[in-house]
Amino acid sequence: MGYSGARGGLEAILAAEDLVRRARDHAPAPWAPTEQITARFRLAVDRVLGEAGLYHEDTSAAALRQAEGDPLEAAHLVRAHRSTLPRLAVSEPVDPDEMVVLRRIVPAFREPDGPQLLGRTTDYTGRLLEQPAGPPPRQSRTPATPPDRTETQRRPGRFLDLLRKLDLVVDHRRADDPEPFDITRKPARPPAERSAALASMARAETGALVALWYRSILGPDGDIHEVTLGEVRHGRLPLRVRHPHTGNPVRVGEFRVTEAEAIEDLDGADEDRSRFDVGYGLCFGHNERKAIAMANLDVANRRFGRTGPLEQLLLLTTDGLDSAGFLEHLKLPHYVTFRSMVERKQAMRAAGEADEGPRVAEPAGQECR
Amino acid sequence: MTSTLDTLLTEREAELPAGILDEGAKREIRRATLTAVCVPGYQVPFGSREMPVARGWGSGGLQVTLGVIGAADTVKVIDQGDDAGVNATNLRRMIAGTTGCADTADTREATIVQTRHRVPEERLRDGQVLVLQVPVPEPLRGVEKSVIECARMHAEGDYSAMWVSLYEDLVRNGMITRTTGYPVLVGGRYVLATTPIPRWDVPRLHESDHLSLFGAGREKRIYAIPPHTDVRPLTFDDVPFEVEYAPGARCVLCGSDDVFLVEAGTTGAYACSDTEWCARVREGDADIQAHHERAPLHLLPDPAARLRAPATTTARPERPRPALPEGQDWALRVDGLGKVFGPGAADAVPGTGPDHGTAISPATGAIVAAWDVSFDVAPGEALGVIGESGSGKSTVLGCVIGDEQATAGHVRLAALDEGRTDLLTLPGDARRRLRVDSMAVVHQNSAAGLDLRVTAGGNIAERLTAAGWRGYHDIRRRAAELLDRVEVPLSRMDDPVRTFSGGMRQRVQIAKALATEPPVLLLDEPTTGLDASVAAGVLDLLRGLLAERDIAAVVVSHDFAVIEALTDRTLVMQLGRVVERGLTDQLFHDPHHPYTQRLVAAARR
Repeated sequence: MGYSGARGGLEAILAAEDLVRRARDHAPAPWAPTEQITARFRLAVDRVLGEAGLYHEDTSAAALRQAEGDPLEAAHLVRAHRSTLPRLAVSEPVDPDEMVVLRRIVPAFREPDGPQLLGRTTDYTGRLLEQPAGPPPRQSRTPATPPDRTETQRRPGRFLDLLRKLDLVVDHRRADDPEPFDITRKPARPPAERSAALASMARAETGALVALWYRSILGPDGDIHEVTLGEVRHGRLPLRVRHPHTGNPVRVGEFRVTEAEAIEDLDGADEDRSRFDVGYGLCFGHNERKAIAMANLDVANRRFGRTGPLEQLLLLTTDGLDSAGFLEHLKLPHYVTFRSMVERKQAMRAAGEADEGPRVAEPAGQECR
Repeated sequence: MTSTLDTLLTEREAELPAGILDEGAKREIRRATLTAVCVPGYQVPFGSREMPVARGWGSGGLQVTLGVIGAADTVKVIDQGDDAGVNATNLRRMIAGTTGCADTADTREATIVQTRHRVPEERLRDGQVLVLQVPVPEPLRGVEKSVIECARMHAEGDYSAMWVSLYEDLVRNGMITRTTGYPVLVGGRYVLATTPIPRWDVPRLHESDHLSLFGAGREKRIYAIPPHTDVRPLTFDDVPFEVEYAPGARCVLCGSDDVFLVEAGTTGAYACSDTEWCARVREGDADIQAHHERAPLHLLPDPAARLRAPATTTARPERPRPALPEGQDWALRVDGLGKVFGPGAADAVPGTGPDHGTAISPATGAIVAAWDVSFDVAPGEALGVIGESGSGKSTVLGCVIGDEQATAGHVRLAALDEGRTDLLTLPGDARRRLRVDSMAVVHQNSAAGLDLRVTAGGNIAERLTAAGWRGYHDIRRRAAELLDRVEVPLSRMDDPVRTFSGGMRQRVQIAKALATEPPVLLLDEPTTGLDASVAAGVLDLLRGLLAERDIAAVVVSHDFAVIEALTDRTLVMQLGRVVERGLTDQLFHDPHHPYTQRLVAAARR
């Protein structure tokens, strides 16, 4: 009998847990404190808090440490942790125009409203592996104290607003202001509103979303055609909740997000071919790949989500916990189901040996009227 | 100083404590569970939370259990029927550890049994709750990948695709080869996936004393089978449902042969999958007699019974053709039908039509595809609608069928409510049902009317099962009759339609359309795209079929030869309007409207 038939399943589990704890928590290396993880593995921390849908760097870092660096496992730990927490309040709507940018790129325009701000990026650094034994010496180039930024530099105008001023964008803004779909409280299934797809993408596994984006470009059923990135930014936004006693919005903190706007050429028969459409992406932390993929897929979903498989793919196949959990459940014992499958194979074979032969169509029983 | 967050936290402190699921989430789960009990077999969506176990590892079952359990409960957890497996052990310590409830391996002591892949051999009693972990809650996924379409099928109780898959299984394999998670019909309404429990356990859900709750965490669905609910495995009336069987197998430990057995070791031995039952049999602590009487031994496979034609045919749903009401001689009647693509309705119409030489509205820019089209057809009569492409004839047919949403007009069927109801006011599901047995369509493109992956017989079975046929042999016989009549060789009956030629596909489509003997038949360019000689054969067939039936037919074509061969009366359409109508013979010999004259001249060339 297999392992699950063995008596003492509990002993086996405890032994496995002990093995993990000894090797992980007492590895022959200095302990990695939470602040070290948040400071040195910033992008991994951001990825986890985005995929977990819980913005808290220290929680994310602790999860990464416990998960031995596996971002998906870390996101699972954070989400399961969040399931234990009550919902204290619902934040006020966030206005992304309030963002104080740390980085902001407008590829589609040479001199946009406000600065092109490269910020902290390795985009233009040669991908050369460095293997220093310790911290590399400080750069000789000491940065000059940056001058105080102007308000436009801190909160630059939005490229989309420029396009709107030029009347080059199809306007999808609606007069009513529906509550966004809360994917943590209701399952999002097609047909779903746009906010459900956006929320699903914001929390999606980054690799899954990028793969779906690339499939839409190079795959057999692609829905993204003319790819131009309008704008991508990384910055800080304030978070406000209403005070339980006064009812006034109160700022309780700030969080970093990556935001992207993607421009799509319109060429459909029933589309306004004299204008562009713009897709939107926003996710927790610094994760440009995800935000850009999301913005492109948002507009593709608006155009082709229902006529093809895209909406179902976005809503149901990009969550990392869902896909990875289902994949990993294959490791659970399946000998009951497999026995049932074997039985049908044997029954088929027995029927064949009994020379029932292949089925032939019965002759017509009676004249068709 | 107290921050806003501190204040919020204090105010909610009463709800805080803990476990692995907050109290708000448990309330949501209980609400979904109650809904599920009220609508047996219906998959209730719920805001599935992330659990300390991964999706697919029982996160749905765990949420259901945590939602309904209390400290006074006693829980038993099994995986594959085994209490001691690692997964069962893990879930049990999690449940008992966070709720303070007792745990047991003895089914008789448990108030809640959470399980994966099995129902215990011990009889579950009134008051006990069985919580099943569900990896894939959608029973239709195997036949339909679109979740929107699956939802529609459940809403309308339209399970013919499922029946076709069982039919095709029988045709290809001589038996139903579905293994675990066998689909069942619950309370005569919803088809439900029995999670992957073996077929052996399926009868235990029927008219049970206990409550079964199904939790699918990844797909965020809860469903239920309340006590004393009718649960029937889907199978044809004359094909028995079969449980698992290994000839001569007995448990090497307890000797039982009336239990679900799994392989033990690699030498061909078997053992009970339910380890608790096995141990109790050995200890003499089990009511073996009662268990034996409940065991599904009458469902053991019997190859002889499998496809044996029944001596008597099962009742097929015969629908008497209603007599036409007094003073009414039509089977189908269309009044003032109009279709405008684009902005505007009646206000888009002025300035369009043959008199103006355009279908594009000068007022709104919309395309007036058809306007003010009226006709009726009597039983035994065939009406032709002819015109060039763009004349609106196919739009009219689309509006009658329900593929297009008409802008104006009325469509009535004598078979529906004696012609009093306007089809255009009916919702989509009602119109779809009418297409099953009241108004059949033969499309120009056979892929629109047939599933090309399915056999010729299976395509006809789709229509028959939709109409309520449940006898496998009856369906085979009827399909064979029909295929014989449309001159498809019976040797091709069990071949997928994609292997058929164009003419042969049209014949299968015609056979399918006639399967339920509908009073109205709509033919949209039935021979267009076929070689001339093939088309002639199909036309001959159609002429014969119409002549021997009391059916009202509408034939849409651009080809006068088709109209002349099949129809008694004809409408001529141009730019969305009827420009001439009359007896087909007269129209052909003495066309009045210049447009008709052009069509006739073209046909004579």
